[in-house]
Parts: sequence; structure tokens; C-alpha cells
Amino acid sequence: MATELVLADARDRDLTKLAEYEEVAGYTALAKARGMEPQAVIDEVVASELRGRGGAFFPAGRKWAFIPKPDQNPNPHYLVVNADESEPGSFKDNEIMATVPHRFIEGCLITAHAVEARQVFVYIRGEYTGPYEVLVAALEELKGRDDLLSGVTIVLHRGAGAYICGEETALLESLEGKRGQPRTKPPFPAVEGLYRSPTVVNNVETMATVPQIIRVGAAEYAKLGVPDSRGTRVVSISGHVQRPGNYEIENGTSVRSLIYDLGGGITGDRALKAVIPGGSSTVILRYDEIDVGYDFNSLLALKTAMGSAGVVVLDDRCCMVQLGIRISEFYEHESCGKCTPCREGTRWMTQILRRLEAGDAEQHELDLLLDVCDRINGKCLCPLGETAAIAVASYVDKFRGEFQQHVDEGACPFGDSSPLHNVLAPVAMHTHSPVATVPA
Amino acid sequence: MSVQPKGSGQTPSAVRPTVKLTIDGVQVEVPKGTGLVEAALAAGIEIPVFCYEPRLGAPVGACRMCLCEITPGPPKPQAACTLQAADGMEVRTALTSAVAAEAQNATLEFILVNHPLDCPVCDKGGECPLQDLTFRYGPGDTRMTFPKRTFDKPIPISPLIALDRERCILCYRCTRFSEQVAEDGQLVAVNRGSQTQIATFEDEPYRAPFTGNVVELCPVGALTSTTYRFEARPWEIQDVPSVCGLCPVGCNVNVTTREGKVKRILSRNHPEVDQGWLCDKGRFAYRHLNAEDRLRDPLLRVRRRGFEEISWERALDEAEQLLRAAHGRVVTALSGSETVEQAYALAKLLRRGLDSHTAVLPEEISDALDSLRLPLSAIADADAIALLGDAPVVERAPIVELWIKQAKRNGARVVTSIGELGEAANAILVWCGPDGDGGARVAALAESTGARGAFYLPETANTRGVCDAWAAAADAEAANPDPIALLIVSGDEAAANPAVRALAEQAERVLVISMFHGLAGGWADLVLPGTSYLERDGTYVNLEGRVQRLRRTVIPPAPDELVWISRLAERFGVEVSPYPSAVFEEVSAIAFGGILLGAVGELAELPPATDDKGSGQTPSGSDPEPSGLQLIRYRPLFSGPAVERTPELQFQRPLAEVELSRHDATDRRIRNGDEVTVRSNGTSVTLRARISEDLRAGIVRIADEHAGDLQPSVELAT
Repeated sequence: MATELVLADARDRDLTKLAEYEEVAGYTALAKARGMEPQAVIDEVVASELRGRGGAFFPAGRKWAFIPKPDQNPNPHYLVVNADESEPGSFKDNEIMATVPHRFIEGCLITAHAVEARQVFVYIRGEYTGPYEVLVAALEELKGRDDLLSGVTIVLHRGAGAYICGEETALLESLEGKRGQPRTKPPFPAVEGLYRSPTVVNNVETMATVPQIIRVGAAEYAKLGVPDSRGTRVVSISGHVQRPGNYEIENGTSVRSLIYDLGGGITGDRALKAVIPGGSSTVILRYDEIDVGYDFNSLLALKTAMGSAGVVVLDDRCCMVQLGIRISEFYEHESCGKCTPCREGTRWMTQILRRLEAGDAEQHELDLLLDVCDRINGKCLCPLGETAAIAVASYVDKFRGEFQQHVDEGACPFGDSSPLHNVLAPVAMHTHSPVATVPA
Repeated sequence: MSVQPKGSGQTPSAVRPTVKLTIDGVQVEVPKGTGLVEAALAAGIEIPVFCYEPRLGAPVGACRMCLCEITPGPPKPQAACTLQAADGMEVRTALTSAVAAEAQNATLEFILVNHPLDCPVCDKGGECPLQDLTFRYGPGDTRMTFPKRTFDKPIPISPLIALDRERCILCYRCTRFSEQVAEDGQLVAVNRGSQTQIATFEDEPYRAPFTGNVVELCPVGALTSTTYRFEARPWEIQDVPSVCGLCPVGCNVNVTTREGKVKRILSRNHPEVDQGWLCDKGRFAYRHLNAEDRLRDPLLRVRRRGFEEISWERALDEAEQLLRAAHGRVVTALSGSETVEQAYALAKLLRRGLDSHTAVLPEEISDALDSLRLPLSAIADADAIALLGDAPVVERAPIVELWIKQAKRNGARVVTSIGELGEAANAILVWCGPDGDGGARVAALAESTGARGAFYLPETANTRGVCDAWAAAADAEAANPDPIALLIVSGDEAAANPAVRALAEQAERVLVISMFHGLAGGWADLVLPGTSYLERDGTYVNLEGRVQRLRRTVIPPAPDELVWISRLAERFGVEVSPYPSAVFEEVSAIAFGGILLGAVGELAELPPATDDKGSGQTPSGSDPEPSGLQLIRYRPLFSGPAVERTPELQFQRPLAEVELSRHDATDRRIRNGDEVTVRSNGTSVTLRARISEDLRAGIVRIADEHAGDLQPSVELAT
């Protein structure tokens, strides 16, 4: 179960040091990849069936293959790494960058070789000061090691606190110095990305996996995991478990095992109520749905996903309406404001949920909540609003009785005893009142 | 919607390939690259939009009003405005698709949950796309029971524009205009999500030449003009199609009137001329019509007592006497803002009736330009543009600046000297500045470089038309009378011209035709009230050589010049019709190939370029090498009698700045914003430095009103 590729050797050694990393065969995969044609590297990653670890699970090799060849598009190619990990419940990229920065950088350099990019931009979440310092130090160590860098520049760019900038096109806008709002697709970044040039956008964990694939070979890597979900995954387990933290698992491990074996079971030996399997934007699983493999197909059968691998465990004292408010407030706060359904819909969702929690809602408002979710879902410019609607609708769907109870009893049956405060931090709502004062 | 007119600026290229698709079951064939909104229009079907506006650059897909079911494609509704028509595509709008209907209904419900219901007092009410689309696609009732989002309102983002953030539906049209069309970068969105607001950068007033366009772009009543707020309801107004008369571009406009007063000016998209944009002068300076010093009655100088108001009958008697007493020793100073018909009538009276052929004309435009004639829209497709003459284009013909910006965005190279032009398949030259020889120099340069076209920017709106009209009236040489017995000053530009003022010193008598007391007082013996371009019927010829139609939008407080000139001419046995159409017919037979006024139409066509190339002579005039920096003084856009009489435009008047090139700034270690002293022999002014990337080394530019007595050769010091 604990098959470690991404985080391998990080327990025993300080892999933030270049010398230590090189002692565990660090950067040998890079040398191997550079000995291969770029297309051969892409083929190898295609064969490994590696899928993107950021949340959408798109096959990484196929994404690289979309990059037009230099004779089709003379513009430079860019590799942009999405290190803006901001999904409530996910904190794996933080640990990867903090503990195995060189494996991550090695993956970037291999990918840059594969897609023939000379510039790598790492867009790192602004609040991740620790990993940022680690990466700065790691890049400092690489200075003068042109045998490794081979002329490729790696630029760290810190975000300024917007969840939306984890959406790849908003990230590119932000990187270009513009307001972080998603672009309409197509064109996809592979064709017109950063500075309207062909761009690969990959997640941190994807990058940190690439060296191991090149090192052991695609065939060996693909032996791990289950069909459509090969290899390993770093999972962030949090909430009401004994041992929260990041664990690298083989894809297909059961959700029950994640909670009870790795997580050590529910705190206080309480009963499990529900688990959010892949970060705040995924459909929730009820306590009786956890005998399912943690992999793409198994979770898809339950209409949910691994997402960004944030497993949030909730015990039986948790109020699902309060959870809904927590999630809805987050998305309302983080909506970029570009498209109508997300901007207006998430605000309306929060308003209805608050009224439900207060016990003031009437029956039709429960239906209205679902209708608002439905009117957001499938109408937005990017997934932000849609996932908010899907997640909240799933709480109603799976805990309808509890929502009904709020209406019938005119009060929250859990009240202040619902222990959400240590599960998902509430949104510290900013107060905005920048009223323009312009001399007339 | 942008509809390509026939004979647009494109070179006749190979026929564009077409694609076939079906929209709500209707098969249409459209040129490849056509957007779905336009393709649907071709099928007679509406795809409703708020944010979509092709003139603002690539579609953004923000408002989600255009959601349609489209195959092939993902199994959810697609933003049709972001897609182009493709072969075999099947588009289903709300007409035939329940999914699309539900999506559009949802979008409207979301827009309306926080939109205030102040339609009864909203200026947009009655001509509001949000009202119209709600009527067609929206929910019949509301399910929103929470307090609506509120913001402070209205906020004056400038003396011209008020912003109501509660009404704003965040379509981002205004910010896209600011960023991608005018490129002034001053309107931005701040904050995020449902708290997103439109704001000016750093809350500074929105001060730029084209700000008023955002009012027209706004699909709701969020951006309103302070000059039109609460002035009228849409069902009590009338729009009169006319042409702006404040610069030589001749933007097509709709003039909104209510009860005989001009209430606002809107653009009337001529795709070859203005693309539906107006500068703030053209949009707002109509306020001069009701200026306090507007002249309504003729004035006669009475010794010591100044002026006396007299009747029109008496005024014509006085004018007749002045003309007869002059015995032909008459000089006429024309403004270049008279209509073709007025100028021709005056010319006919003076030249045929009095044999007085001497005129101070606005600069005569060279015929050589006619073989290089192109619509302004051709600038957008140029590969390279040479900006010659060194004066700022935006101050003289603002819309030309927007065409040049568009060309730059399309990848054109813009240079400021002919030497830098190099090889370019499709080059266009633009001359704006002194010493242009009426366009002869730029035409010759175009011939010698093989440029595709050349534009010469004259100083006044109807320079070409007035010169053509004067020439058409007679064919005799001017003799310079000395002394001048009578100086006739026609119009406000002439009245404000220092050279004309100097002539008046030598003239025994002066007759002034002017709209304003301020320009006529003090020097005239007889003052006849003038009219504005908004009060006249007739034609103007713009800088392209396009004859365009002016319409009387409101009744002037004094008779139209043409009417009294006609009556005065009668007294000299000269027949001049008081009807513009008849006068035009007469001029047209001589100057415009005999077209009739009725044929000019609402979107005037550009006559084809003539075949005869110019003499091909290489331009004379190697630029004299001035010892220091060469000063270009220019008349700023926001100046002149109309602007001076529009209080809301005063904040747009030019800053006390000196513009200099990057090269000269670096040489002298001058940075943007530095205080510098500009010197020429014996005089100096202190101004703030502004470094311009579009300025040739060796040139500095200062607006007339800040240039003091500076001579053409200056030096700078910090």
C-alpha cells in the first residue's frame, strides 16, 4: 500500500539538498530523458498512462502531444507548473515541494525537454511561504549546474491569494500580469497559452512523478494501480481522523483503508458520517459508500472523483447544512466575477443555505436551492461555479432528511456542536468598501 | 453587430471559402470565420448577447446569455458568441432547444437577482437590452427573496460619466473598450466575485479622448452620461442621422433631440469611417448650441455705444451697403466648417456678383491624394504605417488614432519617418502637421515609396468641401486688394485665426459671421449670427474625400446662412437657391461628378480612387535641420469655441505638458513627470515632461495654449 515514488526516500534523507538527492540517483532520469528524443519521452509518458494530478485527471502524455511542433507554430513553448494548490482539503503539493523539491524540478526539466520548452514558470500559491523558500534554495543550488539546467530557466511566481488562479487559464492570465480570470476555451493552452504561445500546464505532483516513470520505465510504472488510474497518488487526509496527513498510496486502495488504516480511524471513536473524497469540489460520499477503490473509475461509478486528492473525513456530529454554508461561502468568495451563473449563483446559494441553517426557510426554498445549483451547473465559463453547485447539491441529495429536518423543526438539529471549525477553515470574508471618490 | 458594408476597405481578395451549418433547422452558408451570432443573424435568428461586441476584440463568453445547444461539442450548452461557424455544425437556440431556453432563462434570472428595479427612473429604461432580453427570454417572476446587493451610487467617474454599480451586470464591455480599443487602461474591474466593481484606476477621473463610448457600450444603465441623465425618456426623443462637424473625420452620428433641443449625440456606425466610436468632443460639445453668448440677432457697430441689435431686413441692407461700398476690394476668410452649399453660395455672390476673388481659405487639399484614396478602415489592415508631420493625430482627427491603434494590434509596424518604412507590401502614410503642402508632400512620398494609400489630415472639418466649393463658383485669378475695403470673416475658426485678425487691422470694414458674441465683439462693423453644424442641412467632405450629409437636427435661433446669402445675392443679380439640395446639385456638377444630394445616403460611399497618378515628383523640402529641438505647437482636441462653451469638458483640456521622444529624454536625463523648462530665444515656459513613444527624435510637442510665445526652435532643461 505504501508504495512511495513521489515521496520516496524523503523519510530518511533531507532531499531538499541537491547532494542528498543525487545520492538516491537524483537527476539520473533527466540524463536518461535527455538521451532520448523529445517524442520518445512523450511516448514513454503516454505508455505509463500517467494522468494529471491537479484534479481533471487528463492524460499527461496526451496533453504534451497536443503541443504543435516548431514548424507548425514558431512561437516558443512554455511549461507552466500549477503550484497554486488552494482546494480546501488538499495540501499534497505543499509537502511535495517542501520535501522533494529536486524531484519536482527534475520532472519539470524532463517535461521541458519533452515539449521543447526553454522556460518553466512555477506559479506557486502565495501563502505557501515554506515551499517557496525551499524551492528558492533548491534553484540556488542548481545555479552553475548547467549539466542539469542545460540552459532552461525556471521562474518562481507567487500568487496573490486567489483560488481561481489555480484554474489553468486564469493562472496564465495572472502570470501575464492581468486580472486572474479564466479564458474561454478553445483555444486550449497547448495551442494558445502563455503569451499566446503553446503551453503545457501541469500540476506539481504530475511533475514529481515524471522522473520515476522515466527511471523505472513506463511498463514498470503502469504495473502499479488499476486500469485508468495507474501508479501512485499522494493523498491529503484531514478532518476527524486520528492521523491526518499526506500519504502516498497506490491508486485503487479503498477509501475505507484510507480512513481507518492510514488515518487511524475516527477521532474519539465516533461514527463516520461522510467523507469528501477529492477536495471541496467533489461529490460527498456517505458513511456507507466507503468500500470503494480510490481510483478514477470506481469513484466515477459513484459520480464523484479523486479530484485533487483531499480526503476530508467528517464524524457524526457534523451538520451538512453548515458544511454547505462553509463550502458555498468559499466559492462565493473565490468566484472571479467573470461569468454570471457563478458570480450570482454562489451568492444566492449561500443566502439560501444560511436561511436554512437559521431555521427560517420554507419548503420551497429547499427545492429552490437545488434549482439554483442546477442553473449554475453546466452554464459556467470554468469549473469553479459548477463544482460548487455539484458539491452542495450532493449534500442535499445524500442527506436530504437532514436538510428537511432544518425546515420542519425550524432550527438546526446540531447547532454549535457541529465540529466543522477544525475541518475546513471558514472563509475570513474580506470587507470591501472601496468606494471611488472622484472629484466631480 | 458589425455588418460589413459593400465596398469596404478590404482589397478585393479571393472569394472567402464558405461553410454550411444549420441553426434551428435553417440551413445557412456563411464565410468561414463568421461568428455564430452573425451566422444566426444571417438565418434570421437571434442569439441574445450582453457581453459580446466584436469591435472589442476576442469574445470573452462572460455573460452566458448566448448559451446554445451545439453539436458537435460537449453535452452541455455552449457560449455561441465564442464559437465560429463550421461545416456541419448544428446550432439550437432557445427557439428549438429546451436546454438553451432554460440556460438563457437561468442567466437572466441570475442577472436580475441583484439588479435594481429602478427602471422607471433609469435613463436606459425603454432602450435597454436587459429589459428587451428579459422580455423575450427571461422569467416572468422573481424567486429572489433576499435583500439585493447594494453599492454607493451613482459615482461620478468623471465630470462626464456617472457609474451605478448596482445596475452593472459585469459584461466587461467598458473595461475591454478602455483596455483593448482606446488603450487608455483607465477603467478596470476591482474586487472579486459578487463584489466585483467597475472602477477607474486608482479612482482617478476617467480622463481620455474617447471615454463617452463606454456609455453607449453599456447594455444597462450602469454608465450614463451626466449631460443626458434624467433629461428625456426614450419615447419622447427623436434621433436625427447626421455627421459630426468638429474634425475632418466626419464621424456619423445620431443626434437625439427632444422638444427642439439637442439632448445627446450617439454614434451611427459607419464601418469605413468611425466603426461606431466617437471622441468626447464630438459626443459632448453639442452644449455649445445653448451657450450664454450665443448670437441670435444681427449686430451693428454703433460708435462709442458698441453694438446695437438690428433686424434681419436692416442687416441685409447694411451688408449690401458694405459690399457695394467696397467696390470689389473684398477679402473673404473662410473657416472650413461651412457646408459646401454655404461656401458655394458665398463664393457665387462674391465672385460672380462682385468680382471679388480673394479669399483666405483653409488649406487647399492636393488633387494628388485622390489617386491614393482609401477608406480610413484600410488603415486597420495595413502592414506598415508612417506617421508623418509630427503633430499628434489624436488631437486633430481622433478616430484616425483608433484606426492606427487597431492596425498596431493587428501587427502593423508604425514608424514616424519615411526612412524607417522600409519594404512593406501594404503601407499607408498619414500626414498630420505643418508643412504638408495640402497633402502634396505625402502623396508624392506615397508615389515614391509605392505605399498603398495616403491620408492628409486638414485642420478643419470641411476643408476639402469649402475649397472645392470656392473653386467651383468661378474661374478667375485673385487680385490682392490693397487696401482691403471689406473683410468678410465667415465662421468661428476664421474669427479665431490670428492671421485673419491681423488682416482685420488693415481692413477698412469687417463683416463677421459668428455664433458667439465673444468671437465677434470688438472688431466687427456688422455681425451676422452663424449656425452650428447641428443646425444645417448640407454636405461636408471629410479627409478621405467622402461627401457626407449633414441634417438639421434642431432649428437654429437665427436663419441658416444659405437663406440670407441667397437673399443678399438676389440684390446683386446673382441667383443662389436657398435650398441646399439645389445648391449641391450645382456644385456637384462641377466638383463631385454630378451626384445628387439624395444619392449621398446615410452611409456615404467613398468615390473610387482616380487613375491619374500625380506628377511623381519627389517631394521637395528636405527638412531644415533646426539647431535645437523643433517645436510642434498644435491645437488640442479639447479646445476651440465649442469646447470652451461645454463646462463638462473642461477637465479634458490639455495638461501643461511637453511631449518629447524617448531618445531626447534619455539624452537629457529627463524622466516622465519631470518639470522642464522649454526655451527659445528670449522666452521660456515650464511644463511637465511626457515621454512619447510615437515621437521622432528632435521634435517636441506642446499644446498651443501652453506654448506661450515659444519659437519653432527650442531647448529643454530640467
